[in-house]
Amino acid sequence: MTDNSDSATQLRPGLWATVNERYPGVMITKADYMPLAKLHKPLSESRLTFISTAGVQPRGTLPFDTVHPIGDYTFRRVPSDSKPSELEIHQLKYPTAGATRDLNVIFPIERLQELASDGVIGNLAPNFFSFIGYNMDAERLERTLAERLADAVVAEEADIALLSPA
Amino acid sequence: MSLQYLKEAVAEGDTEKLIRYVRLHFGDGNEAVGRKEIDKAWVEALKLLLDVPATDREFILQTLSEKDSATLAHLFFHLHFYFVQRSGDWIHDGQL
Repeated sequence: MTDNSDSATQLRPGLWATVNERYPGVMITKADYMPLAKLHKPLSESRLTFISTAGVQPRGTLPFDTVHPIGDYTFRRVPSDSKPSELEIHQLKYPTAGATRDLNVIFPIERLQELASDGVIGNLAPNFFSFIGYNMDAERLERTLAERLADAVVAEEADIALLSPA
Repeated sequence: MSLQYLKEAVAEGDTEKLIRYVRLHFGDGNEAVGRKEIDKAWVEALKLLLDVPATDREFILQTLSEKDSATLAHLFFHLHFYFVQRSGDWIHDGQL
């Protein structure tokens, strides 16, 4: 097995090992364990939504609060039939050069549209969801953002929520 | 740093911890870079005033007197990033 922690493939070698040193107290551990829900029907009959911390949002919506020192606990609905040109990114914590050229590298909306069109996925929920990953208050994150997101996913009758950090 | 860590620092009057956080925040995890970023914002603001252009002091004074302190604090963070971006020397990975 190859140790990739300091390899040339890492944009910032050794970053992960220094997170707790640079941001004391930020590493979160949870005492309880929540197992993933099982899928009870074929993927080809399932409705899928996508949840991302990429800070992707429809152009013209209120930009994520990228400057707030404690974070932004809101999310944006991204219509699943959107074109990349109708979306934009607001966040400060990951390199966006690649995503600016092709949004699909961080928010694979066109790939998911294709999979639905090809019948691999039953269909897409009306909306995908996005927020920014810089949030200092884990309890607030769980109590507000996560709960509201879960409610929104349930309301759209999604069978699958594909989660992706940025 | 977690919010709890920062609140404990405030309760203990541990200014050094808070300063370190501010520098890390502005420097994307690098204290030395964060110090330079803070200086960069101030220098950019200073440069804009060297020729003593007309400014809207009424707006400034009205804002300071009418807005709550939390909003002004939020504005302060916005202004930092505004001047850093205006300097043309943008070190952050993403965009505002």
